[in-house]
Amino acid sequence: MADRLTLTRRSPAVAPFARRSVGLALRARRPLGLAPLAWTAMALYAAFLIYPIVQGLFNSFTNASPLALSSAFVGLDNYVDLFTDRRLLSSLGFTLLVTVFVTVAANAIGLALALLLNRSTTNYRVMKTLIFIPQVLSGVIVAFIWRSILTQNGLLNSVLQNLGLIDAPVSWIGTPGLAALAVCVVVSWVTIAFATVVYTASLQSVPAELYEAARMDGAGVWSRFRNVTLPMIAPGTTISVVLCLITTFKLYDVIAVLTGGGPAESTKSTAFYLITVAFTDNRFGYGSAIAMLLLVLTAAAAFGLTALLRRREVNL
Amino acid sequence: MSSNPRNMRRSLVAGVVTTAALVALAGCGGAPASDQSSAATFMTFETPAITPEFWDDSIAAALESVPGFEVERIVTPDADRNAYAKQLQASGQFPDLLASISPKDFIDADLLLPFEQEWLEANFLEPDANSIDGVTYQPPSNSQVLPMVFYNKVIFEEHDVDLPTTWDEFVAAVETFSAGAVTPIELAGLDPWSASMPVVALASADVLGSNPEWIQDRYDESVSFTDEEFVSAMQKQRDLIEAGAYSDSALSVDYATANTNFFDGKSAMYIMGSWLVGAFPADQAADFGAFPLPTDDGSVVVPLNVGGTMSVSSKAADAEKSMAFAKAWTLAPESMKTLIETDGAFPLFKNIAFEDFGATVTPLYDDAYAYVTEDTVKVSAFGWVTNDDALPPGVADKFYSLSQSLFSNADVEGQLAQLDADWDAAVAE
Repeated sequence: MADRLTLTRRSPAVAPFARRSVGLALRARRPLGLAPLAWTAMALYAAFLIYPIVQGLFNSFTNASPLALSSAFVGLDNYVDLFTDRRLLSSLGFTLLVTVFVTVAANAIGLALALLLNRSTTNYRVMKTLIFIPQVLSGVIVAFIWRSILTQNGLLNSVLQNLGLIDAPVSWIGTPGLAALAVCVVVSWVTIAFATVVYTASLQSVPAELYEAARMDGAGVWSRFRNVTLPMIAPGTTISVVLCLITTFKLYDVIAVLTGGGPAESTKSTAFYLITVAFTDNRFGYGSAIAMLLLVLTAAAAFGLTALLRRREVNL
Repeated sequence: MSSNPRNMRRSLVAGVVTTAALVALAGCGGAPASDQSSAATFMTFETPAITPEFWDDSIAAALESVPGFEVERIVTPDADRNAYAKQLQASGQFPDLLASISPKDFIDADLLLPFEQEWLEANFLEPDANSIDGVTYQPPSNSQVLPMVFYNKVIFEEHDVDLPTTWDEFVAAVETFSAGAVTPIELAGLDPWSASMPVVALASADVLGSNPEWIQDRYDESVSFTDEEFVSAMQKQRDLIEAGAYSDSALSVDYATANTNFFDGKSAMYIMGSWLVGAFPADQAADFGAFPLPTDDGSVVVPLNVGGTMSVSSKAADAEKSMAFAKAWTLAPESMKTLIETDGAFPLFKNIAFEDFGATVTPLYDDAYAYVTEDTVKVSAFGWVTNDDALPPGVADKFYSLSQSLFSNADVEGQLAQLDADWDAAVAE
């Protein structure tokens, strides 16, 4: 502001050339602020997100192969193939199942844990840290841990057999139904950690006076939870639900290690399937079309759910 | 951001410059520096038998024959080496040297260098055993029987079961073990590649045993997976499952656990590649034997995979030295010695006698090797070979998973019809 006033006061008295020199000098002195950082971020975003998406969209209209240098335009052929691909439909069904299971389980259990751990003593802080550990671990490591638990001679079967609860090992990741359940549980185990942290942060922002006022009005535990807690943590709920949904929709790493998409392709997520199509079947163009479909479905689900939850936030 | 137009302009200029710099950096990232012309990347893999030390030592030994050459090792993240090589190719990082890939996937894109016929004929017993359209992209340095039926001699004796020589005798043995307290056949069913062994054995013995040209006929579309002979072969796997040949949790068993189960005497037989020979504890090896999966009429059919390790990229920065390194590594007796001892490889060298490798092997190895050296009917190991009989891209994986799906889906013909569709789609691509 001071610079501008100075310039305005002096400008009538100086020649145009001198005025420009003064302007340049002032501009040089003026701090750049955060603009370069912001533009750097935008440039990285464009290079590593927008550009690959545009490239993927372009590839989805071609017969590109990971091995061939050139490709030909095939119009909408890849998109037409989406509708007749039995394996794709199967993978979408499995992905949807896991997404719904994980989103519901992670948020319900995450909220319950956050309510239990909503204290600030050292013990509770330690417990919160322990619960957050699965979120810190890479999906590959998580899957390796659970794979060792769920195999034939794994920890779970050993414990159940030693307790006399089962006679023979259960095929936890060797039958389609149980393998699907195993994937749901393992992914939930990771996302519960994230949801717990989000809900814990949300709960700490609820003013204690509201609970006090509710108590004075005679509200019980459930009533306080329903009428105070839930409305106040609604923004956190929106964030947690939407991020759980997005994370699960693009699930790849846990499945690749835990079940390899098996048995008999029964736990192939859409993300896993598109990698197979692109790099095993050499159908990079078709894989790109699947990626575009996954992007659209994820975006639609995320936007739809966000809108729904935002409306709920207003109504609460 | 400031609302001042000058600030906005200045920010815009800064943004454009930053973007241009990043794009330029991204574009320049993959270009090799000129001083790296005598270095190569080598895509390898690791297993309990093929360890990092094996690679490091064998690479160091081979480099002594190629002065001024360096090798940087890349390790595939899983067993699907072809898929990883394709990912590297798609990102402009195709390795200069590749270990144990299936070359057929890459030759249409002209990504591999052929080995000279003269060199192959001078050094290998079966110089054309790994050729594709008469050209070899991976030296035929060793072979593996893929798979064999390994058996526990003690359990066979305890149950008074003789070695089965026909399919009916094999099924009778399975029923005997099933009636006892022992799992008839161990299956590493968790991963499709290891789960595939029974169907690979059946397709090789029954289908290729009666028509060794079946795969070429399938390429010519004169046969299909839904033909009686193939359906009948796969139905045998379904019948074995229903007869209780495998444990109920077989598809939850990984390769390492299956090995342990078998070595610990929890199962009577184990259908696996001859590389398993190298995994037997030395003090237990005498208690085990191996035989090819019996056929209906008792004829002995040996499914064989002739292969080597090395393939050389046609895009290698220094193709001449890369090829020289590949040849040196392939012919190094030390490399083969380790593969014999730990991976059950059966060498096919012309100029090096078996004894000269100095490998320490068990009687089980000798028994298994006899099937290679004796005059037996040898066919391609279905879905595993890397020569003309290699399946189209992606089809082998779908064939492997058939072994798993037969556990929960009794519609053998329907699944094979899908395999036909997958084959046709892959060939059309």
